[in-house]
Amino acid sequence: MLRVYIFKRMIASVVVMFLLSLIIFVLMHLLDGDALIAKLGETGRIPKDQLDGLRAEMGLDDPLAVQYLHWVASLFDGSMGESLIYDGRTVSSRILSALPITLELGLLGMLSAILIGVPLGVVSAVRQDSFLDYGIRMVSLLGLSIPQFFLGLIIIIYGTLYLGYHPPRFYVPITDDPIGNIKMMLIPSLILGFGLSASIMRITRSTVLEALHEDYARTARAKGLKERTVVIKHVLRNALIPVMTLVGNQAAFIFSGALIIEILFVLPGMGRLTIEAIQQRDYPQVQGCALIAGAVVVGINLLVDVSYGWVDPRVKYG
Amino acid sequence: MTAIPQDIFASPSSVVRTPRFIRFCISFAKRKPVAAASALVLLIVVLMCVFAPVLATADPNRQELGARLAPPSREHYLGADQLGRDTFSRILYGGRISLGAGLGATLAGVGLGVVIGLVSGYTGGKLDLVLQRLMDAIMALPPLILLMVLASTLDQNFQNMVFAIAIFVAPGASRIVRGYVLSIKEMPYVDAARSLGATPTRLVFRHILPNTFAAVIVVASISVGSVIIIEAALGYLGLSVRMPTATWGNMLNSGAQTYMELSPILAIAPGVAIALTVFSINLFGDGLRDVLDPRLRGKGR
Repeated sequence: MLRVYIFKRMIASVVVMFLLSLIIFVLMHLLDGDALIAKLGETGRIPKDQLDGLRAEMGLDDPLAVQYLHWVASLFDGSMGESLIYDGRTVSSRILSALPITLELGLLGMLSAILIGVPLGVVSAVRQDSFLDYGIRMVSLLGLSIPQFFLGLIIIIYGTLYLGYHPPRFYVPITDDPIGNIKMMLIPSLILGFGLSASIMRITRSTVLEALHEDYARTARAKGLKERTVVIKHVLRNALIPVMTLVGNQAAFIFSGALIIEILFVLPGMGRLTIEAIQQRDYPQVQGCALIAGAVVVGINLLVDVSYGWVDPRVKYG
Repeated sequence: MTAIPQDIFASPSSVVRTPRFIRFCISFAKRKPVAAASALVLLIVVLMCVFAPVLATADPNRQELGARLAPPSREHYLGADQLGRDTFSRILYGGRISLGAGLGATLAGVGLGVVIGLVSGYTGGKLDLVLQRLMDAIMALPPLILLMVLASTLDQNFQNMVFAIAIFVAPGASRIVRGYVLSIKEMPYVDAARSLGATPTRLVFRHILPNTFAAVIVVASISVGSVIIIEAALGYLGLSVRMPTATWGNMLNSGAQTYMELSPILAIAPGVAIALTVFSINLFGDGLRDVLDPRLRGKGR
């Protein structure tokens, strides 16, 4: 049963990836000029027949459908096309060096969001309508309202002025110095996590509130269990499913958040790669970055869907 | 036949009925005082931006070199930036763009989402499947990447920015509307209307669509906030409306980052404007949701 379900979900993911590649391709071709003009910059001085020759060589005069097929073919041979700006570098090689940084930041951000959001949500639900509850809800609403990069900006200003915090100057790869790497990532991922923890806290609070009144919670209390045990062992576990769904739904937002935070902290991840590619008009690179970003989100959602059954054995896959 | 007296349709003059909207506002303020207060704050912010030409103390784009990086003073309430432009005036004018984008993109995006959700939910079948997978695909793209791509291929102006943000608002709205349509379409009163011979158009517009409005209003009120944040992020990356037009987002980009250690107010003023506005929107949206549509409670954002 599970295998069939996973298979079905994988097919759906492939369909979504196909549509995604179409959307990205069409969006990239909304543009008037073409990649050649971007590559050569000033075009007025180059004779038209030479331009046409180059175009034919690059395959830019093919019909759009053919160009799309070329692109898809380049996805399957692993190169994802060639960068227009950096001669001889493939799109995928640059993504491969940038992606792990964004993923690490996103993962750490998500982890800190869960570590902040879930306990706060539980406390807020258990002490419903108390002062603490209102306080936590206000703080979480603030987390939803303050743009993450603004928070980062403030921390960089006041951290450097008063707290002796310095944003990292160089990127330390995790393979060279794991501790230095984590230290460097700590503040950025906490900032990312604060924004995310707000949604997690809100959903934890409302599901725990509901679960506290369920029959199994009453049974557990009737057995004479301490309230703490009831909450942690019985209620919390059942309240985790919506949190997982939220993490899946928010994957795209988490990725976006990681992009902008890493730009702010000058980490050489996908955000900087994409924005650089946009500024240099390196279209194949932009196209590749967008597709990979989408693939990551689709992959996370697939994982979340498949792991429901692991968290809650009652879930039947249909 | 006696003539029908004209005044039976008019309510007796002794009973002055307050309009429904006002009554709703009053009961809303009683039930959700915090949300009502935040609505008031929001109203003030909006009015300040609408009346920017009256309230502004200077032309937002006029450079007064003598006042470069001026601290807050009586002439410059919030100081001036690195080109000597008055920050207070730029905040007011920038708010027009930021709030306008928030409102415009939400209206366009939610409108599009409602249409797609209605079609998808009502027709069902293959069309539904294709539309929903398409929405999945758009939702899978991190909004910032989608917007970066669009900003790179479209000209950077207000309309294009609104259009680009609307694309990412639509899928969420369409999903919620579709869910509602799916359940409403099975209701007995829809069957009743159909058996009376109502055409599909009439069914959709008279019987189904109005019942999704509560959810739509709630979704819209919540997405205005995230749209303003997205615009700010775009502005910060220099991908929003072109300079020198001020928006809250690009005020954080232009110079704020370079000069913020000399003059932190450059970054703080637009940031607080964004946070205050979005905070009020979220508080108001929460209250509105509890009153209009308790079913959506706890659906995260």
